[in-house]
Amino acid sequence: MAVALVALDYSRPIQPVFEQASRTGTVHSVFRKALNIVAGDTMLAVLSSELSRMPNSARLPAIVMHRLYTSLHPGMQVSIGDGKLLIPAIDFTLRLPQEPAWEPRPDVAAHHWHRVSIARHSRLLAQHLAQKARQDGLAPLAAPLLLRRPARETPLAQRALPLLQLLVRACRLEDSAGVEEAARGLVGLGPGLTPSGDDTLAGFVSVMALLSAQLCADALPREHLASIIASTAQPRTTRLSATLLAHAARGELAEHVGTLLTALALPVEESQMLLHAADRVLAYGAYSGGDTLLGMLLGLQALGIENTLHESGEYHGHTGVAQAKYLL
Amino acid sequence: MVIRALLKRNTYYDSITLMSAIQYVKDTIAVEDAGAVMATEANLALLEQAHLLPADFLAQQENMPAPEDLLIAIRAADESLAQSALACAQQKLAGPGNIVVSGSTTPPATRSLEVALRHAASANLAVISVAGEHAWLEAKQALRHGLHVFLFSNNVPIEQEQRLKVLAASKGLLLMGPDCGTAIINGVGLGFSNVAPRGSIGIVGASGTGMQQLICLIAAAGPGISQAIGTGGCDLTETIDGIMMREGLALLTRDPHTDVIVLVSKLPSKRVANELLAAAAQAAKPVVALFLGITPQEFGTVGDNIRLVKTLTEGAALAVSLAGGDPARVPGKDALLAFQPRLEAERAKLAPSQHFIRALYSGGTLCYEAMLLLGEQVGAIASNIPLRPQWALGALTANEMYRGHTALDLGADEFTRGKPHPMIDPTTRLHYLARAAEDAETAVILLDIVLGYCSHPDPAAVYAPVIKRLRNEAQAAGRSLPVIVSLCGSEGDPQRLSLQRATLEAAGALVFESNEAAALAAASLVSHTNSVSHPKDYAHD
Repeated sequence: MAVALVALDYSRPIQPVFEQASRTGTVHSVFRKALNIVAGDTMLAVLSSELSRMPNSARLPAIVMHRLYTSLHPGMQVSIGDGKLLIPAIDFTLRLPQEPAWEPRPDVAAHHWHRVSIARHSRLLAQHLAQKARQDGLAPLAAPLLLRRPARETPLAQRALPLLQLLVRACRLEDSAGVEEAARGLVGLGPGLTPSGDDTLAGFVSVMALLSAQLCADALPREHLASIIASTAQPRTTRLSATLLAHAARGELAEHVGTLLTALALPVEESQMLLHAADRVLAYGAYSGGDTLLGMLLGLQALGIENTLHESGEYHGHTGVAQAKYLL
Repeated sequence: MVIRALLKRNTYYDSITLMSAIQYVKDTIAVEDAGAVMATEANLALLEQAHLLPADFLAQQENMPAPEDLLIAIRAADESLAQSALACAQQKLAGPGNIVVSGSTTPPATRSLEVALRHAASANLAVISVAGEHAWLEAKQALRHGLHVFLFSNNVPIEQEQRLKVLAASKGLLLMGPDCGTAIINGVGLGFSNVAPRGSIGIVGASGTGMQQLICLIAAAGPGISQAIGTGGCDLTETIDGIMMREGLALLTRDPHTDVIVLVSKLPSKRVANELLAAAAQAAKPVVALFLGITPQEFGTVGDNIRLVKTLTEGAALAVSLAGGDPARVPGKDALLAFQPRLEAERAKLAPSQHFIRALYSGGTLCYEAMLLLGEQVGAIASNIPLRPQWALGALTANEMYRGHTALDLGADEFTRGKPHPMIDPTTRLHYLARAAEDAETAVILLDIVLGYCSHPDPAAVYAPVIKRLRNEAQAAGRSLPVIVSLCGSEGDPQRLSLQRATLEAAGALVFESNEAAALAAASLVSHTNSVSHPKDYAHD
């Protein structure tokens, strides 16, 4: 029986994919609450309404996703374009609703960005991450990278730590070659369908893409470094991961990540809301949330945020210079 | 030592499934190490560093693995163990995982609102208890289907709560919550609820255990409840503006089965509370209002039909009286008189080091009410939900669990993240209880135990032996250890109030059904006077 549905919502970047002339694609992967579709160089996600919006997603009611889950296989042919997504094998058609698209690029210009309060938020988030992160993935490296505490030595940590230090240092110095070298080592590194290194890079590039113009201590924006990282990733990791990194480099973020990023603009007194947003990010996937948050905090560090507290005399425990030496 | 591997081309599992499968292998089979990663260049290098790279296996492959392929690698002492581990991983991943399973004939479970409505087309209320980040969407869908919503989920951002409540109000529907702990709608209890007779007293509350205390005290006196409408604890904030309390008030005003209305909230915005009182003044019914944190005197003149009270016990007694019942039957401060000899005896046995009250609450509103009463008697009370910012418990050292007089709301988010609520699972509170008992400065321990549906099936069976043992240990150490229990429940509750009381009293606890009386009893043990104050000394108005 033919099924024709209208999505509950959709993100702005997928609108042109639906509007262009129809072309064929395939079902890339099928999960209980998510379906990924590849068409040319585009990857589109059809998600259950139980999940947060993604920059490449359209969402369906949970019951519909359950039906799709039980009737789809990876490799099935699809066509997408002329206003619809069609899966002929199950006679399923999906159209986008008339409502305006969801915009995955947070409107950072609408917020006031204060370096001192962001520095305090950043310190709070680093402690929160160190306290709550799983012991796998890259998030445990928040301890040595952000808090000057030791972390458990694992092969993944040993491999990633110098690369993350290089990433931050190279970004600070606008060293494109260094950024590329670090990204090359981190891309595709670690557990998960979106490997930990990719999630960390996604958090990092989201800060570069959206906040570097607002926050750079030396007034030199670093958006271009985000695109270097994304293009380095493209052939070296899973297709899904590369797609999400490319979106992040354009400042197009998953809903929960965008919420956290804009929460950095909140006054210090509203840190509970910030932590609430951080918890939503941390709850995402087995490692992805913690890895993404680590990347965001390293992005802020690369923009010299921690020095703000040092300059304002608020940095406790060790000097900003010592911190910088340790980091670098 | 051997390294064996399995390559699954173009295969995708989510990270949680992979992590679980590998952990299962490690827990089940004595392997040296195991890993499951997407076969990226970086991960092959990582496997090599971890001495897990299956070099021989990879060399045999016609095409080298690519990032879209899943590589499972096992290092084990011998071939047999390695092969067993690979089989185990395969079996685990082939289970009810995330790869599509075709040809399933199992009917879909009722996991969505749409399916549930198909099974119960006449339903007009949805109970939603999903993770906070998804709750707003489910609630929105329910409202769009014309359903009232009882939203048990917490951690829903306040801006989403505001939008949901505006939507509900525009449709004439109730959005009870988020973080709504209790309600009784047309005699049906939702969430943590107590068994009470149907009657003519209607309650609208932004306070879960506050409503439960009112319901239980009213039930004990005989009159019953028409409706108990929860609004969620943030309803009377500036942002939410009391949207649902207004709706609930309007509903009860129109309800022919409600003769008396009780409004209850902790820590409301004073402006919102004032506006609600103005709205209540228009109701042609008596209204009892309790806004914990704002004294009745602070409101000035209110409508003739409105009576402001300061405690839950007072509110219950007044509502019972207005409904034609006997307020003397409400378990209240009179119990203090009955316990006076026992309290004085306990006080006389306190060692010189015993100065402080340690209150361990599972109900936030009960804790807050206790702190208001204790604060008047003994001064500063350290807490995770402090009455004043300077009384915040803040960071404690490793050896420090209490600081002077201390009241903990153990049902607060910081204690329940990833754990069951202490009304369900006593583990966390038992830990704090033991530490309080060990502390030579502890003069009295004050606990609430909340009965009813969803709560622990037999809390007295858990707490009574612990209380008895801790009291014996304190006695052996030359100290007395009074334990006061604020027992919130009704005789109709599955746990039966009288049975719970008897078990706790047999263990040596002093049991009060009124939280106010329990708090005042605790205060009397550490206050500077030498005798228990007569209840009239605590009269508020």
